[in-house]
Amino acid sequence: MKHSRLRTLALFLRSTELDTRALGLIAALLLIWIVFHLLSGGLFLTPRNLWNLSVQSSSVAIMAAGMVLVIVTRNIDLSIGSMLGFVGMIMGVIQTDLLPKLFGFEYPATWALTLLAGLVLGVLLGAFQGFIIAYLGIPSFIVTLGGLLVWRGAAWWVTSGQTVAPLDATFRLMGGGPEGSIGAMWSWIVGLIACAAVVLALANGRAKRKKFRFPLRSLAADSFLGVVACAAILAAVAIVNAYPWPLGSVRRYAQSNHIALPKGGLFIAHGIAIPVLIAVGAGVVVTFLAKRTRFGRYVYAIGGNPEAAALAGVNTRWVILKVFMLMGFLAALSGAVSIARLNAATNAEGTLAELLVIAAAVIGGTSLAGGVGTVAGALLGALIMQSLQSGMVLLGVDTPLQNIVVGAVLVLAAWLDSLYRRRTTP
Amino acid sequence: MTGRFVLAVTVLTLCFLSGAQAQDKVVGVSWSNFQEERWKTDEAAIKAAVAAAGGRYIAADAQSSPQKQLTDIESLIARGANALIVLAQDASAIAPAVQEAIDENIPVVGYDRLIENPRAFYITFDNKEVGRMQARAVFARRPRGNYAFIKGSSTDPNADFLFSGQIEVLRDAIAAGAIKNVGEAYTDGWLPANAQRNMEQILTKNNNNVDAVVASNDGTAGGAIAALAAQGIAGSVPVSGQDGDHAALNRVALGTQTISVWKDARALGKRAAEIALLLADGKKMSDIPGAVKFDGGPKKVEMNALFLTPIPITRENLYVVIDAGWIRRDEVCQGVKPGTVKVCR
Repeated sequence: MKHSRLRTLALFLRSTELDTRALGLIAALLLIWIVFHLLSGGLFLTPRNLWNLSVQSSSVAIMAAGMVLVIVTRNIDLSIGSMLGFVGMIMGVIQTDLLPKLFGFEYPATWALTLLAGLVLGVLLGAFQGFIIAYLGIPSFIVTLGGLLVWRGAAWWVTSGQTVAPLDATFRLMGGGPEGSIGAMWSWIVGLIACAAVVLALANGRAKRKKFRFPLRSLAADSFLGVVACAAILAAVAIVNAYPWPLGSVRRYAQSNHIALPKGGLFIAHGIAIPVLIAVGAGVVVTFLAKRTRFGRYVYAIGGNPEAAALAGVNTRWVILKVFMLMGFLAALSGAVSIARLNAATNAEGTLAELLVIAAAVIGGTSLAGGVGTVAGALLGALIMQSLQSGMVLLGVDTPLQNIVVGAVLVLAAWLDSLYRRRTTP
Repeated sequence: MTGRFVLAVTVLTLCFLSGAQAQDKVVGVSWSNFQEERWKTDEAAIKAAVAAAGGRYIAADAQSSPQKQLTDIESLIARGANALIVLAQDASAIAPAVQEAIDENIPVVGYDRLIENPRAFYITFDNKEVGRMQARAVFARRPRGNYAFIKGSSTDPNADFLFSGQIEVLRDAIAAGAIKNVGEAYTDGWLPANAQRNMEQILTKNNNNVDAVVASNDGTAGGAIAALAAQGIAGSVPVSGQDGDHAALNRVALGTQTISVWKDARALGKRAAEIALLLADGKKMSDIPGAVKFDGGPKKVEMNALFLTPIPITRENLYVVIDAGWIRRDEVCQGVKPGTVKVCR
């Protein structure tokens, strides 16, 4: 009796066509969270810590989205941490030195001009490396290993190693903090829009399958997916809205807006942090590129079999060049987020970030053999790694031991993944 | 008889001439790397001091590689160095080359980082004293309450020297229960971003009940202050640092950082060059003015050392760094409200 009920559940789950790998990742994440929650005496699963975690993960998550495509095409990019540092330094100098000379400090468009310059520079650096890899035929491992050294050195040269701070106040919003979050109302609006998008996507999927006479998912499975996804999104919004502004920020806010501070304080919710929105946005856009565009199909085709893709008429070089341009763009975006968060550009910014990003992609199920990997998995991978690191700080575990644990988890994840693949592929 | 007399006089004269001055002495400097801003400042100071004494400066950059530094030192000896100044990348890895130099009677000055060899000289700023100054300044602002410690990189012995100095000052207050250590964390690679994450977690753990932060340098202080700012308590929580980073001195003026212990790299470079020249002239290590006996290294080897005293820079004495030409007044005062800091007016 019990056995058959389990079977029904398994059949139902299969009918939702959910990726069991992704489910495994989510289960691992929840397990880690619960263990830390218990060990830290109830400190981990609090709105505050989860909000922190989301902001701390965003810089790595942004780059992980691009790294998936790089690895899928059987390449690697070791230079992104250094590139982040170099572009970050340039953006720091632009907003604290070049633009203030022209327009004065705190000019309203400073942040936009700075960000634009940084993103253009990121794309150019990516294109440069991509050109050498794709058109001159030098292995990406070597080219980007060179890039790792070159851009780190370049970051030093920008100011001869000096730290650039403080940054433009508007630019800093990209790094989170009370002001760098969108507040309760906008968070609900974003959450509802995301929900609506999920429902629309499911409905659209049904319509498409009908049109092309593909087997349909059962209506029950589709509604189940919609309800679970919406519930998860709204729960996340509720959590970040439950984290109030700290007292000091509330006081300053009340002062500058001439509001009398009521007794017992004022509850202003953080809401979703801007860097998290940027990371999720980057993840959605890259997923769209990968799943719904010709470019994306070419990327996976090249990863599956480069010769076959080339013989089928895919301009493999041009596609690889574009993948590296995208990676450069995301590294620059991540650089903007990390210097904004620190309120300073330092020449060591992003040191070892490339390894964290590659690890996030691998934990998320991207295969270094190419052809396989999802952006959503990589974002989950980034969250898992950050959960481990932040959780251990919360427990007072010192850095050498933290590194040991994170390294062991990385290898364990790769091993589990290979076991899983051997079982599911014939 | 007369011939012998002339010879003796000539020899004596030659001895006198060569012993009297540092003319034509060659000082070889082996740098570990130039990836940090400050070593260029040190180099300029050493060059100037050597040139002022009429000596010659030769140098090699090991680019963070102990293997390269090993051959660097050998080539500096081959190029005729009369004294060596070594900024060790890894003191134990380059020990054979240092021994070789000493065997050839070429004096070695360990610069800023310890080279544990009884016949080498050690010159540095007193790192334990830096830690004491940091703790003293924070303690003066908050004699009681919850303290957080943002330590340096776990692979850098200086991080532990600093921490032991900090604890030394606070030990009594901790024992008396006035001060509580509510969180301490090493900062991997001294990276500000890591310090920020650690500070965020310490604040979360203590629900923001942190009254003071003892950070070990200006980079980690910057990370900690960014975390405090996100909780709206930057400025009300004293934070320490060191290095006299320009951004940190600005924070001291703004009031978000309490102290930056400043080690004038130019003084260190100048003294090191002078000592190298004196040793090249045959002066005994124990006769160097200001030299003390030191055996506080990991292997407890007794050697001669000179410790320079760092200068604590707070809001009250910011003029020291400005007058020294270390930083411009407008860099210190950028964004400072008029009337809050004396030097900014």
